[in-house]
Amino acid sequence: MLMTAMEFAQFPVLSVILFSTILALVVILLIPDDRPQLVKQVSLGFAAVGLALCLYVYFAYDTQKGGLQFVERVLWVKSLGIYYFLGVDGINVPMLLLTAVVLFTGVLTMWELERRVKEYFALTYLLVAGVYGVFMSMDLFFIFVWYDVSLFPMYPLIAIWGGTRKEYGAMKLTLYLLAGSVLILPGILYLWAVAGAHTFDLFELQRMGFDVNVQRIAFLMLYLGFGVLAGVWPFHTWSPVGHVAAPTAVSMIHAGVLMKLGAYGILRVGMTLCPDGLVYWSDLMALLATIGIVYGAFVGLAQTDLKYVIGYSSVSHMGIVGLGLATMTVDGINGAVFQMFSHGVMTALFFSAVGYIYDKTHTKMIPELGGLSKTMPKASAFFIIAAFCGIGVPCMSSFWAELLVFISAVKTYPIRGILAVSGLVVSALFMLRVVQKTFYGEKNPRWEHIPDVPLSLASPRIILVGILVFFGLFPRLILDVIQSAVIPFVNSL
Amino acid sequence: MMKWTLFTPELFYVAMAAVFFVGSLQRRVDSRRLYRWAVVLAGVGLAVTVACTRLEGFLFFDSYKVDLFSQFFKVLIALGTFFVVLVCSELYGIDPRKHAEFYFLLSVCTLAMMMLVSAVELLTIYIALELSSYSLYLMVPMRHRADAYVESGVKYFMVGATASAMMIFGLSYLFGMTHTTYVAEIVRVLPHLLHQPAVLVGLVLTLAGFFFKQALFPFHVWAPDVYQGAANQVTTYIATASKMAAAAMVIRFVALTTGHSETLIQLLMVLSVLSMTFGNLVAIIQKDIKRLLAYSSIAHAGYMLVGILCMTQRGYAGAVYYAMAYLIMNFACFMVIIKVADDGHNLQIKELAGLHKRSPLLAMTLMLALFGLAGIPPTLGFTGKFLVFAAALEKGYLLLVVIGMINATISLYYYLIVIKAAYLLEPVREYPPVRVDTWTRILSIVLVIAMIYVGIFPDRFVALSEAAVAVLP
Repeated sequence: MLMTAMEFAQFPVLSVILFSTILALVVILLIPDDRPQLVKQVSLGFAAVGLALCLYVYFAYDTQKGGLQFVERVLWVKSLGIYYFLGVDGINVPMLLLTAVVLFTGVLTMWELERRVKEYFALTYLLVAGVYGVFMSMDLFFIFVWYDVSLFPMYPLIAIWGGTRKEYGAMKLTLYLLAGSVLILPGILYLWAVAGAHTFDLFELQRMGFDVNVQRIAFLMLYLGFGVLAGVWPFHTWSPVGHVAAPTAVSMIHAGVLMKLGAYGILRVGMTLCPDGLVYWSDLMALLATIGIVYGAFVGLAQTDLKYVIGYSSVSHMGIVGLGLATMTVDGINGAVFQMFSHGVMTALFFSAVGYIYDKTHTKMIPELGGLSKTMPKASAFFIIAAFCGIGVPCMSSFWAELLVFISAVKTYPIRGILAVSGLVVSALFMLRVVQKTFYGEKNPRWEHIPDVPLSLASPRIILVGILVFFGLFPRLILDVIQSAVIPFVNSL
Repeated sequence: MMKWTLFTPELFYVAMAAVFFVGSLQRRVDSRRLYRWAVVLAGVGLAVTVACTRLEGFLFFDSYKVDLFSQFFKVLIALGTFFVVLVCSELYGIDPRKHAEFYFLLSVCTLAMMMLVSAVELLTIYIALELSSYSLYLMVPMRHRADAYVESGVKYFMVGATASAMMIFGLSYLFGMTHTTYVAEIVRVLPHLLHQPAVLVGLVLTLAGFFFKQALFPFHVWAPDVYQGAANQVTTYIATASKMAAAAMVIRFVALTTGHSETLIQLLMVLSVLSMTFGNLVAIIQKDIKRLLAYSSIAHAGYMLVGILCMTQRGYAGAVYYAMAYLIMNFACFMVIIKVADDGHNLQIKELAGLHKRSPLLAMTLMLALFGLAGIPPTLGFTGKFLVFAAALEKGYLLLVVIGMINATISLYYYLIVIKAAYLLEPVREYPPVRVDTWTRILSIVLVIAMIYVGIFPDRFVALSEAAVAVLP
């Protein structure tokens, strides 16, 4: 207790990160309508501050000591036992960094936005506030509140600035994701009620422990509820549709960060509070994850729209996260969290690259493109790098993540593990096919006049590539952090 | 003499009614002056009611109890009345010659509902209820050039009269079984009699009278037509203040059983599920926004009942908080409707098109209010749902909560349609610009701040709701 009090007396860096987004929202709303450039500069400024603070948290996090650090805890609603409780451990430190990176690059990617600029960035910051909130909060009530806050800005973001079938995509996505909370809220309240209805503090609840049957029911609810957002098969159908409909940076944030919220929720709430429930349902989790991996790869093979391709590859890659979690081993969960991080960066890069191509050619249909590497080599390079990362080429961060997951998956679930690995082969096939058809082969003369991406617009993509390669070369830098939380967790199972 | 201070809020509304009664006798009516009088009087009435919150005691041979529960609801009713009066500045929905009568009936109805929430004797309750009902029966057909809407007035009266008949029949059963008309006595005797069907029948029939006011399924049939047929301001009053009194009375009567009747719990559960599901599903296809809100009110009566049927302090507190949240959110919606349809016509959803350009402030108020009704954090509507669902899970009603959440998702669909109209649709024809005067501006900002502030810092309001229900048996 003394420790937390001391730490609270320090600079509340997590609250600052969280409320800098709210402040950004307010500041953006106060800027007059006719100053769109100022809106973008302010957005970038706040994103940079957030990134700097998240980097600070990442490197200041003491992996030797482990456990929860940077704790802030204030009683919020007395009669229900709700706490404003922020903290970071090895699992959410990389997630915070991921959020900051994707936000920063997302703002840069939308630098050329012209329509309703102010509202766009305001809503983006509201969304990101929700994401930060979920990742930082250690109180079930606040996790749910921030979770919902992060979901509903998606509706206007897609419906106003989106592309293909935007209203359908927006409505489907919003309803699907809120349908997920249909199970999450009762699941959370159920655990709270069983524990005596006086605290929503995650760790107090964990210490109390729950009856096996309670855990089984609650875990299933939380798994399915958060699973919708994590794109678990068969609840994934909102995800490709939503990705396709959304504007570039929203796809980046959405596939890069929001889907991780689902996996994070399963890990943080479901697995932490219901370890016995996890043991009971892990077979089902592994099965659904394997189906997701294989199914996503095969459906991706048949797509002709670049964004659909990425959407289905996300389903496949999020399956890897689910499979890693289901192994319940140190390596598997390490790999799953690492995969969450690297998939986030990778999809952001994917969508960012496609965004540029779409902005210039106004099409994202693979047959209409072709030979792009000759007309815009730099823009193509970014997509190709992302594709390599998706395949799991060594020296990319995904390689380590997928390696860890598959090694432990084959050990724990031999048949499903091998099936999943073969799914990966199919996904390599479809990635290479897309790369080949879009960037190599016959040059389409329609696109010859298109300029290659200038350096200023390429900067977000360069950052993302840098991160992928950096953690691909030095995986220990992130695995040490993740491990500091995963090892105690697995030991407690 | 001291005792009469307990009755101050009610006396004030008697005086207010008298003022407008005198006003209605005048040959020439000055609408603006009446409006100013009404705003001042309703504002003072709210202040008086708030000032009397901490009073406690009995009046009229113990048939009238003043406690925190009744005073809390009186504040809500006074607040609702004040809100309604505030949006009466362009009262085009009602014939100018009848404005004084309108304010008169509004005062009488408020008075009656205040008496209703304090009454603890069956006949007093019945008389107070009838007084408030008759005021509403008169206000609904008051609509200007309302030939098309006379039907709704008649319908309201017929259904209301039926509900009254059922209720007084139920009261007679309660009296017959317990040999008393005093609620305090009934509470003492009733738990021992609950195994007898007659008592349950009596209780359920009595509740039916209030369910009618709340528009709970299957007592909802009047709601869509009356919401649509009455003048916008009258609808606002029915949808806000009158719902408060009904919620208070349902809580009071359900609390009579002190949680001893499984049968009643199950029955209420069925009603709550039906009401939520029916209201939300039918709301999806509505084109008229007042009809949409009527169906959504049916659904919200169901959510509120989830808290009440737990029959625990936490459940009642959740329902009280929910009622308060509902008052604010629903009023915010109606305020936007009244301002956008400033000539008093029935607003269609598509007429909201482009509202974010015509009036950004009203569009934002509407969006927050609708998100609140859908139960999206961080608005106060979310906290309300959270509290009633938490109470239900404390009693172990997992399935009920899941059904409630499914309904919340369904409701989001039609709320999103309205939000989409306000924010995304381009108007098909040129709609007149929305005139927003300074007072409306202030009111909107206050509502927006209230909706978010109470949602983010619910602690004090939860504590208040808990204190209010602590006096229940």
